[in-house]
Amino acid sequence: MVETATNLRPLVEMRGIVKTFGGVHALKGVDLNIYPGEVHVILGENGAGKSTLMKILSGTYQPSDGRIFVDGTEYTHLTPVQATHLGIAIIYQELSVINELSALENLFVGRIPVRRRFGFGVVDWALMRREAAEILKKLAVTLNLDTPVRNLPIAHRQVIEIAKALMLNARVVVMDEPTSSLTTLEVRSLFKIVRQLRDAGTAVLFISHKFDEVRAIGDRFSVLKDGATTGTGMIADTTNDDLIRMMVGRAVKQYFRNEQPVDRRQAPVLKVSHVSSRDRRQVVDVSFEVYKGEIIGFAGLIGSGRTELMNCLFGTMARSSGRIELNGRDITPRGPVEAVKRAMAYITESRRQTGFMPNFSIENNIAVSRSVKISPLRGTWGLIRSREDHRLAEEQRKAMAVKCASVRQNITELSGGNQQKVLIGKWMCTQPDVFIFDEPTRGIDVGAKAEIYRIMRALSNSGKAIIMVSSELPEILAICDRVAVFKTGRIVQVLDGATATEEQILDLALIREETAK
Amino acid sequence: MNRTQLATFWERYGTFCILVLIIAVFSALSPAYFFRPENILQIGVQSAITVLTALGEFFAILIAGIDLSVGSILAITGIVTAKLMVAGLHPVLAVLGGGVLMGMVLGAINGALVNFTGLHPFIITLGTNAIFRGLTFIISGANPVFGFPYEFVLALTGNVGFVPAPVLLALCLAVVLWFVTTKTRLGRNIYAMGGNREAAYFSGIDIKLHTLVVFIISGFCSGLAGVLSTARTGAAEPLAGQNFETFAIASAIIGGTSFFGGRGRIPSVVVGGLIIGTISNGLNMLHIQTFYQLVVMGSLIIAAVSIDRLVGQGR
Repeated sequence: MVETATNLRPLVEMRGIVKTFGGVHALKGVDLNIYPGEVHVILGENGAGKSTLMKILSGTYQPSDGRIFVDGTEYTHLTPVQATHLGIAIIYQELSVINELSALENLFVGRIPVRRRFGFGVVDWALMRREAAEILKKLAVTLNLDTPVRNLPIAHRQVIEIAKALMLNARVVVMDEPTSSLTTLEVRSLFKIVRQLRDAGTAVLFISHKFDEVRAIGDRFSVLKDGATTGTGMIADTTNDDLIRMMVGRAVKQYFRNEQPVDRRQAPVLKVSHVSSRDRRQVVDVSFEVYKGEIIGFAGLIGSGRTELMNCLFGTMARSSGRIELNGRDITPRGPVEAVKRAMAYITESRRQTGFMPNFSIENNIAVSRSVKISPLRGTWGLIRSREDHRLAEEQRKAMAVKCASVRQNITELSGGNQQKVLIGKWMCTQPDVFIFDEPTRGIDVGAKAEIYRIMRALSNSGKAIIMVSSELPEILAICDRVAVFKTGRIVQVLDGATATEEQILDLALIREETAK
Repeated sequence: MNRTQLATFWERYGTFCILVLIIAVFSALSPAYFFRPENILQIGVQSAITVLTALGEFFAILIAGIDLSVGSILAITGIVTAKLMVAGLHPVLAVLGGGVLMGMVLGAINGALVNFTGLHPFIITLGTNAIFRGLTFIISGANPVFGFPYEFVLALTGNVGFVPAPVLLALCLAVVLWFVTTKTRLGRNIYAMGGNREAAYFSGIDIKLHTLVVFIISGFCSGLAGVLSTARTGAAEPLAGQNFETFAIASAIIGGTSFFGGRGRIPSVVVGGLIIGTISNGLNMLHIQTFYQLVVMGSLIIAAVSIDRLVGQGR
């Protein structure tokens, strides 16, 4: 069936799809053909453009350029409603079932059948039950239709989503990392369903990070990298190494690495030992050192526990154990107040959530943490020194090259990159010795990225301990002297930044997991 | 004036404009009585207690919280102050202990419960409001307390120069709190918490300490209001301050304080309190019954905030 697939006319044909967000290219000309009766795996690193492509397919986003054909007819402005009518259904990672409704009601959300009774329109429960039973029989699953969805296991909620898609006569079903929260057994039954769909002629687009699953279920694959297709073919004819090479394998700029080799015979600047989160699951007994002039990077999958580790270090997440020493002195903070007072700085991964105060000017955003650092008694008492605050804000504006009209401007008026520079500037004012950069360049344009790397390198060279978390491997390799590969709350291995490759890191972060199971 | 300029102007002076409008309306409706110096001072006296509770409420709302217990703190501090004086304690000590300190302790209980349980202040103060009111009845036996020294009443209802003492007290407190909000780290940290609690936490601001301080300030203001209220009526009523949380919240919100936290100014809150006082005074002048006053008051609150939303959309 699969062999013949390529001889058919594609069900969906996407040609040269380009999508830009305010000057940033998320997609730079992607081609994708989807044939009926195939399981087509989409591979790619975080940020390669997979989700954007799927959102264009479902009509959520309009492409900036490129053409979309469904059944040979071109659709220039595909809307979500149109996409549904054409039989394109997407099952997102965060399932969109309504937890308080029963399984049956969820199957018919938005199109509950009604019949006339005594002049009133009443819900036609009998019809709903009939149709639901039919579709579940087709999927060969049994499931109590009257149970509120919140009481069902995740796997069953997924089945409901799939059933919902099928009831709308979906011909293309997109599954965005469907197995991420499923047990092995549940994955097996999901795959059974996927195979049934395929054999019935439905095209399944399967987005996944896990190679063993990709091998088990996939017929064909397409690899995305930096918003472009770097390869497409039959899974059976391709090795994992080939796939990884297509996912990464680009010329990496290494300008930001240290020129002088790091001297690791001296005592480390920062020594972290036996840090575990309170639940001992999200972060498990992590120890590492940072030497003078060195940036250590934490690579790993999203959800591997890197951010949780940083929170444990900074005192914003409860620890069950752990000790942090700066130049031999114990600085383990009990909470963020102590962390700030003991010269730690944490540039968090989400500017909007944990970064800036939207009601504050640039100047006040810069001033808050310094005020905590220098003020006696936990930063509460004392007067604002507005002249000093202004002077420091102006200093940071120059040092960080923040593009703004005035430091009295509201911070929300700045671009993401400039906001990030302001936040780095805010921490600079506390004169910290330990910097944690968590995804410091997320959502930032290329120019600002380079400046942030430059700042990080300069800080490191001046003797500060720099810890960086990033999900972008090229970034990690371009700037970090050592790379700690993180997985399920532990450091799997620490690699030398100069010799490590993306393939090696991905191998440690992805594939080992599967062989270990 | 374009949209954003209008919005900026409105944020600063909008509340004041509403006050002027309301004064104009009442002056037109009751030209003989309303706009006279004695009555203007009277409005000030009537508004003083509302302004005091509103100042405390302002802080609670500024951190995206709320304090529903201002009315019952007012009642209990009033009763305790009166009881202490009747028992023979010097009025100054009674005011400091039974009014101010008591208010701060009750506020601290609110803050500590919020910190300890992690529940929204709405729930905590909904509960403590009932508790404090109940305690007021228990302490007083549901009877008003009177028979305290006349000097106490005189001192807190008389004039200093030509300014009534309650007005002076409320104004002084407003100035002090205005200083706290604009010139101190404490104030800036409270605004930071209101703007983005998580970010404030990650910036090293001690969220729990500031929450505690905010509720202590609110309790302090209500305690002072309780003392004033007792002096004004000449007796401490266990039912005093009922519905005052409504007026306190309304004053703060009419004064442009954002319900989502992080935005608002003390001067506008004072004007907000004056608006409430003016409406109540004006309705009295027009001989409108108390029951109807509540209806009108509620409607005006909704109208004032709606206008604020409509004009201030550019924010």
